[in-house]
Amino acid sequence: MVKRYVLVSSDNEKFPTERKVMEKSILLKNMLKDLFADDDDEPIEIPLPNVSSSVMKFILEWCEHYKDVDFEDDEDDDSKKSAPIDEWDKNFLNTDQEMLYEIILAANYMNIKPLLNAGCKMVAEMIRGKSPEEIRKTFNIVNDFTPEEEAAIRRENEWAEDR
Amino acid sequence: MSEPLPRADDLSATWKFVEPGLELILGSDVSPKMYMSVYTAIYNYCINKSRATQQQDAEVQRLNGNNNMNTQGSLLIGGQIYSKLNNYLAQYVQSLTKRPDESFLQFYVRTWQRYTIGAGYLNNIFDYMNRYWVQKERSDGKRHIYDVNTLCLLKWREDMFRKNVDTLINEILEQIQLQRLNKVDSSNDLSIAIKSFVSLGFDSNDLKKTNLSVYMNDFEKKFLELTREFYLNESNVFLQNNNVVDYMRKAEARLAEENSRANLILDEHTKKPLADVLNEVLIDKHAEAMYAAFPTLLDQNQLEDIHRMYSLLQRVPPTLEPLLQQFEEYIKREGLKAIEELKEEASKISSSSSSNGAKKAGAIDPKLYVRTIIDVYKRFVNTVNVSFKKNGLFVKSLDNASHEFINKNAIATPTPRSQSKTPELLAKYSDTLLKRKAKDSDSTSDMSVDDLMTVFKFINDKDAFETHYRRLLARRLIFNQAATDGEEEAVIQRLKQENSLEYTSKMTKMFQDMQASQELRSAFRDRALEDGSKDIVPDFTMYVLAETMWPFSAWKYPFKLPKELLPTQEKFEQMYNEKHSGRQLKWIWNHCRGEVKANIAKQGKPPFILSMSVFQMAIILPFNDRDTYSFEELLDITDLSSEYLEASIAPLVKFKLLNQKPAAPEFINKPNTKFTVVSEYRSKKMRVKFDYPLKIESKLESSDTQREIDEDRKNFIQACIVRIMKARKMLNHSALINEVIQQAHSRFNPTVSDIKKCIDILIEKEYLNRVDGDSYEYLA
Repeated sequence: MVKRYVLVSSDNEKFPTERKVMEKSILLKNMLKDLFADDDDEPIEIPLPNVSSSVMKFILEWCEHYKDVDFEDDEDDDSKKSAPIDEWDKNFLNTDQEMLYEIILAANYMNIKPLLNAGCKMVAEMIRGKSPEEIRKTFNIVNDFTPEEEAAIRRENEWAEDR
Repeated sequence: MSEPLPRADDLSATWKFVEPGLELILGSDVSPKMYMSVYTAIYNYCINKSRATQQQDAEVQRLNGNNNMNTQGSLLIGGQIYSKLNNYLAQYVQSLTKRPDESFLQFYVRTWQRYTIGAGYLNNIFDYMNRYWVQKERSDGKRHIYDVNTLCLLKWREDMFRKNVDTLINEILEQIQLQRLNKVDSSNDLSIAIKSFVSLGFDSNDLKKTNLSVYMNDFEKKFLELTREFYLNESNVFLQNNNVVDYMRKAEARLAEENSRANLILDEHTKKPLADVLNEVLIDKHAEAMYAAFPTLLDQNQLEDIHRMYSLLQRVPPTLEPLLQQFEEYIKREGLKAIEELKEEASKISSSSSSNGAKKAGAIDPKLYVRTIIDVYKRFVNTVNVSFKKNGLFVKSLDNASHEFINKNAIATPTPRSQSKTPELLAKYSDTLLKRKAKDSDSTSDMSVDDLMTVFKFINDKDAFETHYRRLLARRLIFNQAATDGEEEAVIQRLKQENSLEYTSKMTKMFQDMQASQELRSAFRDRALEDGSKDIVPDFTMYVLAETMWPFSAWKYPFKLPKELLPTQEKFEQMYNEKHSGRQLKWIWNHCRGEVKANIAKQGKPPFILSMSVFQMAIILPFNDRDTYSFEELLDITDLSSEYLEASIAPLVKFKLLNQKPAAPEFINKPNTKFTVVSEYRSKKMRVKFDYPLKIESKLESSDTQREIDEDRKNFIQACIVRIMKARKMLNHSALINEVIQQAHSRFNPTVSDIKKCIDILIEKEYLNRVDGDSYEYLA
């Protein structure tokens, strides 16, 4: 496969990429469809000014892995929303928090819905089953509630407690 | 990157950055870099603004001490950029201008094609706004916010289509008119322009659905009006100057042309209303003209043109109705006419050859009669198959008409009230067909069981046919004239299939009787040979026939069997009674025949074999004892009535076996007339036949047949009534009459007065009782 498409990261690194891999991103897929309906041989550079090279590597690894999978288009499928994270995705996204956020942002920007969903589920997993104090610790949040405010919120949300 | 991306929080800078790209994008000329830059700028604007607003919100909340956590956490941004885009698109569409060398239609099609491609790109470039802000607004119920592609279409609709709709539609309709007049081919532009009307109709509640509101209101309505007007005018003018056959060709071609144009340039939706308009203007309005031409086409057997008429009219089903009626009437008329001609022909032939005496004046040959019916029927079967493609309605018309002319016509019903002769003629036809014929004869080559069954299907009085058929079958069987058993059975099988098992039960029983008689004869011969008595005739060929199945009735008058035959009769009766005690044998003397060996030839010549009726045998055998008897003496010896004696003796005199004295014919039945046997008989043949059918017999027979039919009908109706009443217990008069007519239908059509008579008989016999004036009750 000739890699005539070259993705250019914000820090100007070039990533020659197969069309099939790129098409996991709806942004790139639409763009290719709009501008390059028929193939010709000249290499084409496509700048992605919002993605750094370190994130780009991650993203392209993910796209490469799934290049032969056809994700269905049906949005808002509730069963998918509540499905557990794919094992491969879980390992893939098991990285430092900072990178995870960058990946989520890039997936949103490039419109890669399955990756965006997996990333968000990872974050949700970090919250699941934790006390507010633990969550603050995980995400490095300063508690800016007064004890009275906190008690009031607890009362209001009692119904949602796991029992 | 030539130009740095604008600050995400600066709307006017962002728009300034984006705007120059839009023009290129709508003109469909854009680089990947431009594409990605504009996308990114809009993304950054939306996402940055969202974050900023969120922070602002949180600050505002804290300042107000508002703890309401239900506040939407992330306020999505896009409204301002959306309204800028909206304004931009309106301006862009308004700025499009027609070149001097193109028509408005050409301008519209050119710019539309470019615009819609650009709209698709814009939709993708604004994907981030579509994905979050537009979706959120719409799910909050703001139906005036659209995805970018739809927004583009909306702007086109408002600023291009609406403002120019009259010019555009007029140019399109003008082009279609020119096509109809064979002047131009602009289908491609038309197709694109017309399809744009479909795209411009969208449902603001569900953007995934398109509707045809624009297409139908702005285009289709006017198109249909114009089409109606055009063809109304064209067809009227055409018919004034051309005949109907040419008109039908023209209409057919126009329908095909409009249909292919519809496929080429119109939406599927228009097909139905367009067909309705064309059908109304081209077919319904001119149906009368086609009806008027129909009989002529039938006269000339123009099957192709008739088919053309049919395929036009069947597009408007109600217009077939008058054609069906015409067709039925026409067949009926043709059938009646053909039979009328046959009747005239027959009366001419028989009057010219009446000296021959073989035929009665006006007698109809059953073969010609059936042939005439079949010819008419087959001619129209062909019309139905070829021109009407076996359409069931036309098959029914043919059947109705055939029914009419076959049962009632100049030959079958010379007066309106007479019973139809068709069943009798058809029975005679079958007799000719089935009678054993001379080997080289091809007199039946153009006859067939199929034709027989075709006519049978249509006759009303099936019972009359059965009676006549059985009478003729009986003759064939008794006089050994039947075709092979296989042929006879095949016909009965067909009758059974067409009608019922019950219908042929008597015929089947007749064949059984023939079989049983065969066995009886060989048993009798064995017995006679065993017995060895010279007085018994071993070749005695008797038929034992069940009285109710066969159309013969027992001899009811006195008759003395000649003494020479008495031992044979006694022996047989004895044998039969041993076998079947309780059964009663009756003799049908008027059908008995025999052969007499007479030694009255010239010296040295072998004796003559005289074939005679048993009455003639009774007359001639006493001449073994004496040479002369008077008429009176013979009456005494035979015990016959003088009519039968006279009829039997006449052939003996005519063929000069007996000399009559006085010889004048009128003396034949005078008591003192003397009959003397000749001493030496002269004849070229060794076998001489004397037993010609008696005239009184054949006269009796035909009235017998009618009586038998009437009797059977009465019994059948009574049986029906009893069956119905047994099931219903109680029924009113008209319901009973209807049910009886229905049940009898497959055999004959009973009259109401016949049924009433039978009801009266049953009341008398105490099967029924009258209740409440017009109802009957069954008495068990």
